[in-house]
Amino acid sequence: MADNPKIRLNFRKSLGNFTLRVNCTLETKVSAFLGVSGSGKSTLLNCVSGTLTPDEGEIAFGDEILYASAAGINLPPEKRRFGYVFQEGYLFPHLTVAQNIRYGQPNPRKSSDAIGVLEISELLQRYPKELSGGQRQRVAIARALAMEPRMLLMDEPLAALDSALKDRIIPYLHHVKEVFEIPILYITHTFSEAMALADEAFLIADGEIMANGEPHRLLTAPSAMPIAQMTGVENILFLPVTDSNKARGLTALEIGSQSLIIPYIDVEVGEVVPVAIRAEDIIIALEPDISVSARNILPGKIQYLDVRSERTWLSILVEWHHLAVKITHEARDQLQLKEGSEVYCVMKASAINILWD
Amino acid sequence: MKITPAEVTALSLSIKVALFSLVIMFPPGLLIGWLLAKRTFPGKSFLNTLVMCPLVLPPIVSGYLLLILLGKHGVIGGFIYETFGIEIVFSQLAVIIAVSIISFPLLVRGIVTGMESVPLELENAARTLGASPLKVFWTITFPLAHRGIIGGTILGFSKSLGEFGATIMVAGNIPGKTQTVALAIFSAVHLGEDASVYRLVFISTLVAFIALWLTERFTLR
Repeated sequence: MADNPKIRLNFRKSLGNFTLRVNCTLETKVSAFLGVSGSGKSTLLNCVSGTLTPDEGEIAFGDEILYASAAGINLPPEKRRFGYVFQEGYLFPHLTVAQNIRYGQPNPRKSSDAIGVLEISELLQRYPKELSGGQRQRVAIARALAMEPRMLLMDEPLAALDSALKDRIIPYLHHVKEVFEIPILYITHTFSEAMALADEAFLIADGEIMANGEPHRLLTAPSAMPIAQMTGVENILFLPVTDSNKARGLTALEIGSQSLIIPYIDVEVGEVVPVAIRAEDIIIALEPDISVSARNILPGKIQYLDVRSERTWLSILVEWHHLAVKITHEARDQLQLKEGSEVYCVMKASAINILWD
Repeated sequence: MKITPAEVTALSLSIKVALFSLVIMFPPGLLIGWLLAKRTFPGKSFLNTLVMCPLVLPPIVSGYLLLILLGKHGVIGGFIYETFGIEIVFSQLAVIIAVSIISFPLLVRGIVTGMESVPLELENAARTLGASPLKVFWTITFPLAHRGIIGGTILGFSKSLGEFGATIMVAGNIPGKTQTVALAIFSAVHLGEDASVYRLVFISTLVAFIALWLTERFTLR
């Protein structure tokens, strides 16, 4: 994206004894704010949308100032033209899907684009209560897109859905990202969503931005560990397919010079697929030649070790991928693990999940 | 059951007054209901108390206070008499005012309950979709609060139909002019006209029952 408008956020907002302090510039297409509940990420989004007024500071979209306490500027939400997708969807219950989408007096071309991208043309005459959770969320996204917004704000759009549904919605979000040429501000508490969608991620805790950067680097870096401990972490890797054997029910992915075996998926050799491995599903071994049923035994090196919570967190470099691994303190002591130790990461094929196909 | 012309007059006056009162009080009821349900402002609890007062005050007391205010020497009544030469007390206008004041809390209560049930997030969602606060009110808040609004309207209307205490204080009991059904029953009991009492009591009970039943139907579902 060459001409993405810069979004400048520099403000303070207190609610009770909680204070959110933000000072950052969003320059990429999809910016994710990652934090646990109560970290201030929804407050941030509401200040950007205009449904909440900061105490002081400035919010600017490109050259346009939306909020400036010093100048007394505060553009109401209806003038900002930011599409907002809420965690609960918040479709209007008394209106049909079509009327919901029309509510923002949309550009007809954009609404049909949105209806197409989110595949909801079958649902147009239904009422929200007749929709499943996943359908409701797709309609909510379409409604926000149909008004031809300048930016899309998404507040945990997948949080109310179970994980199987999440994996079905994420491709739609990717499609949205490709088709609609607008910046997206995405709020989430899960690493996998941030990794799967964002170009830049911001870690937010206790109302402050702790770190920011490219999601793959940022979220496997030691600085992300404290947040990983609170949110539960999945390692997300984008790996090319090297072999796919339907008869044996297995597909091989390339991870550096090694192979990662996963349950069979029907994709072409050479295609890159995103996979997720939960931090607690990786077993650490000291020897490679152990007899186990797990299909994957990959050598790696412990880069970082964090013992502050009730589990030990390891950041292990496998080829050039960082894997976050969660083990017990007992296991760490018994294996005498420390930074720099050479170890083997053991993973069952079935513990490796495809994020979408 | 043969209804006498005098009874018909009382009945039609009651209905006319209740309808007038509803038409006059509905817009301010909507505004005050919205303020109480959706806004925070200084003096909110005072406004709420003031509006709800007639609900707990004996109607006869409300009527007496109105009499003082609206009488020829009262603050409001005096001004209107001086300027327009109109005397409010013991007129049909007085009936409408008395009935409106007494039924207003029920109307507002229903509207507030209805509007409080509309999540702020839905209204915010509408704002982010480009709707002005006024558009949000008419397209989201009002239609979604309709059960409470209908409930308050029906309850307020039936209260107006049967109002007695405040009406007799400020409008008197003048047959053909300010005598509503409730006042006609009162007179008939005193005069020992049992047949007339039975007819009017039957009609009043029927109307009240239907109104309550309609309220239940619209609000509890």
